[in-house]
Amino acid sequence: MSLGVTEKKLDNLHWPLVLCTLIICSLGVWNLASATKSAPVLLALVQFRWMIFGAVAVAVLLIVDYRYLQTFAWPGYVAAIGLLGSVAFFGKRVLGARRWLQIGSLQIQPSEFVKLAVIVILARWFTRDETGARKGYYGLFDLVRPFVLILIPCALVMKQPDLGTAVVTFAIAMTMVMFAKVKWRDLIVMLATGAAAAVFAWHRFLKDYQKQRVLTFLNPEAYAKGAGYHAIQSVIAVGSGQWSGKGWGEGTQNQLAFLPEQHTDFIFSVWAEEHGFLGAVVLIGLYAFLVLAALDVAANARDKFGSFLSIGIAALFFWHAFINMGMVTGLLPVVGVPLPLFSYGGSSVVADMLGIGILLNVSLRRFMF
Amino acid sequence: MLVRRDADDLREIRPRTQLGALIVVCAMLVLVVRLYQLQILRGEVYIVQSIANFRKTLFVPADRGVIKDRKGRTLVENRPSFDVFLTPAFCKGKERDEVLDKLALYLRLGNEDVERIKLDYQKSWFSKDKLERFKPFLVLLDIPRDQVDVLEAHKTEMSCVNLIPTPHRQYHAPQSLGHVLGYMSEVTPDELEDSPEFRRGQTIGRRGLERRWERELRGADGKQNIAVDAKGRELDKDTQEALIPEPERLVPATPGNNLVLSIDEKLQKAADTAFIGRAGAAVVMEAKTGFILAMVSRPSFDSNKMSGRISRAELKAISDDPLKPMLNRVMNENYHPGSTFKSITSALGLETGVVTPSSTIFCGGGYTMGNHRWRCDKPQGHGPLDLRHALSHSCDVYYYTVGDRAGLDALSDMAKKFGYGQPTGLDLGREISGYLPDSKSITPESGSARAHAINASIGQGEINVTPLQQAVAYAAIANGGDIVRPQIVKRIESPDGKVLREFPPEVVRKVGVKDSTLAVIRDGLDAVVNEPGGTGYRSRLPDIHFAGKTGTAQVMKLGKQQKLDPTTVAYLSRDHAWFAAYAPAEDAEIVVVVLNEHGGWGAEAAAPAASKIVAAYFKIMREETAPPPAPPLVAAPAKEPSVATSTVVQ
Repeated sequence: MSLGVTEKKLDNLHWPLVLCTLIICSLGVWNLASATKSAPVLLALVQFRWMIFGAVAVAVLLIVDYRYLQTFAWPGYVAAIGLLGSVAFFGKRVLGARRWLQIGSLQIQPSEFVKLAVIVILARWFTRDETGARKGYYGLFDLVRPFVLILIPCALVMKQPDLGTAVVTFAIAMTMVMFAKVKWRDLIVMLATGAAAAVFAWHRFLKDYQKQRVLTFLNPEAYAKGAGYHAIQSVIAVGSGQWSGKGWGEGTQNQLAFLPEQHTDFIFSVWAEEHGFLGAVVLIGLYAFLVLAALDVAANARDKFGSFLSIGIAALFFWHAFINMGMVTGLLPVVGVPLPLFSYGGSSVVADMLGIGILLNVSLRRFMF
Repeated sequence: MLVRRDADDLREIRPRTQLGALIVVCAMLVLVVRLYQLQILRGEVYIVQSIANFRKTLFVPADRGVIKDRKGRTLVENRPSFDVFLTPAFCKGKERDEVLDKLALYLRLGNEDVERIKLDYQKSWFSKDKLERFKPFLVLLDIPRDQVDVLEAHKTEMSCVNLIPTPHRQYHAPQSLGHVLGYMSEVTPDELEDSPEFRRGQTIGRRGLERRWERELRGADGKQNIAVDAKGRELDKDTQEALIPEPERLVPATPGNNLVLSIDEKLQKAADTAFIGRAGAAVVMEAKTGFILAMVSRPSFDSNKMSGRISRAELKAISDDPLKPMLNRVMNENYHPGSTFKSITSALGLETGVVTPSSTIFCGGGYTMGNHRWRCDKPQGHGPLDLRHALSHSCDVYYYTVGDRAGLDALSDMAKKFGYGQPTGLDLGREISGYLPDSKSITPESGSARAHAINASIGQGEINVTPLQQAVAYAAIANGGDIVRPQIVKRIESPDGKVLREFPPEVVRKVGVKDSTLAVIRDGLDAVVNEPGGTGYRSRLPDIHFAGKTGTAQVMKLGKQQKLDPTTVAYLSRDHAWFAAYAPAEDAEIVVVVLNEHGGWGAEAAAPAASKIVAAYFKIMREETAPPPAPPLVAAPAKEPSVATSTVVQ
């Protein structure tokens, strides 16, 4: 490839997406600085470092055509499963769950990268598999293999236990399936059967204390300090922000630690408390824009693989943002799901940046044959 | 190397991405609507809740009003002290156990205390009301100074523990005035539920004046609002000032009002010393006004002990005590009046015309009605007696005769006129009425109305009176016929000494007998003390002329089924000793009633105490009013003291 091509490529870079990402990252660091004002370590700075690291990685990887990912899909998937497996044995236990892997001074959360691996392997499967093309659609039985690919990591994540990540991973995968040639009827049958089975099992076979146990098992933090405490405090934080918020660093729920996990899962409450309805709507708008941009990349991708990758990434950002903000505002039950590029966490930030990188890569090469 | 572009597939994906975009926008709009609902529509509610989160309201206990005696001497006051409180919300799980261990160590708590604290913690933690756990509960009352220092030093380790400076009651005469003043104790959960004005851990008045005047004495607690973080730690000063507006930081407490009693501290002490019995009562009342100067009910309880830390075992010991220390014998226990009732029977005789002051009745040592003979206490008989001598020698036959002739109902009516059979109206909590039999209330098996009248004429049988009723009746005899309402509170004052409410003396009614009748009785009562042969002659005072009547009330025979040791049985079968007196005899200022439970003879076990109390009263009066007024002199000098010793009342 000549230098000229590279220059042309830069013109093709999805600049609105880059800008939107930069704004979210900046607001995220700024907000994290408020949330961790009283923390001894400057966590916002650590977060910023991870963002830079992610951005550099993205810049470097932009040189490589995303289609090479097809080659790395299986090794990447196997490596991700391997990491998840080792978490089960060597993982660091925090609040009753093994989620982190300690490598030297570095703590990584493999489940964040598993999402990417699942997106890549599903994109590859839907690209390579000819059943859809031959039959014109995917029947339920044709989808057994991708489901196995999805359920293995989901099961391992559930075992940690990390209900939130398992749910999000499953939701991302399901979203991708919905974009394949699956009949609407089959989709509805799948969803309805799954939901009915779950509801039936829950009400018919489980006793109250068992339900409580299941909930506690799946979601230890929420029950560690008395059920509902997190949710209540979060809703108070959000609601008390009113129109324009209490101001940066002035949120009492945040600063006086009434808000639990304020720098990770409940970071949106901090934002909503300190910047009010207006600030919150702006942020929701940014995430919506990000997801819509990803869908735009998917619609305009050069090939099926790129398209499915982009849909996966769009789903990644959408489900994280929606579940997180829904949980924080009391619409959804409390499950630990980070808000992309806002919640503190190196693994999640790097994974999110890589996702953005994939989008940019796909969009960059949309006109190439 | 390039993958063939799958145009068909992409054509299929594009509309789905459009649908996806629509779903994304809708989902985000749902979030926006939710935020609008939380932040705009319900924002006010949540801002209040977020403030409630960091705002911790500490109460500033009000100074309870003090109680003073008639001369302004303090009977109860408040001393500075500290109570320990714990807020369950601020220490959970392991931290709770650590805090409890530390508290047990620093406060030297016993197992019983630790268990109680744990129980209180659980109760509040598992309460349905989630805010309950944010309410501090009482861990320990009134801790000593050195423990205050230790807790202060370890304050940061236990952010859920608060030391609240709470003034505690200091009773100056805790035993002697126990029944009058009462004591303080923590509100019970039931009371908390019934009256929302109470807060947990608050102490309120129990029994006596503390209870009766709770509202006046309590005052109103103030409030201190401080800002805390989620762990209950107090924030630094700047943050405090930023978060809590100046006027809300401290709402000062309003102290309670003071009570000024009619009790005279010195006389109370003298009465308490003079009364030597194990159980019984002594009451000193102003004869004309009804104000109570001293009031002893024994056994009593220690108001300081009851208000402070008292173990369950100690409380059980008090409630199991057969002598019932919590019973105010002055107004809540009744006894046969014995011969003290002969004053009333005298009034009955004179008013009905059954006898005249000069008419005599012959005492042959007994009185026969039907086939039953009532004996006089002097078996050989007193011979012919007029009323004056019948009263002073306490002849039973004379009164049997009067009672039998006038009848039970007339006797009962006369007793009612003097205030028996009904509460006297002393405003100090519950008061019993005593019991007066009449022809309608008696049962045939217990004897005829005549037999009842004969028994009642000397204060035996079914008739029962309280020491306070005796004081009112004898006050009426002494003051010329006014039935006064006994009172113990003279006025209520504001903390700065302004009189808020004055209690004037109250005459309920006239007794409704002729002045001459009362004069004859007074004459007889004078003779009881001041004439040789009078049953109270031995207790006369050289320089003070007082009058009174002895009484010995027979006690019901104890059944064998009661498992009591012989000394207790011997004690419980002894008669009650009475003495009702007033002084000076010619123009009474005070009435003194002494009841010595199971004391034996009134002349021996009650009259000396009454006499000492009378003497103490005049001594105190002399000391207080300089130059001392000349005390009234005894009318007749003693001639034959030996006669008095051999005379025994019944």
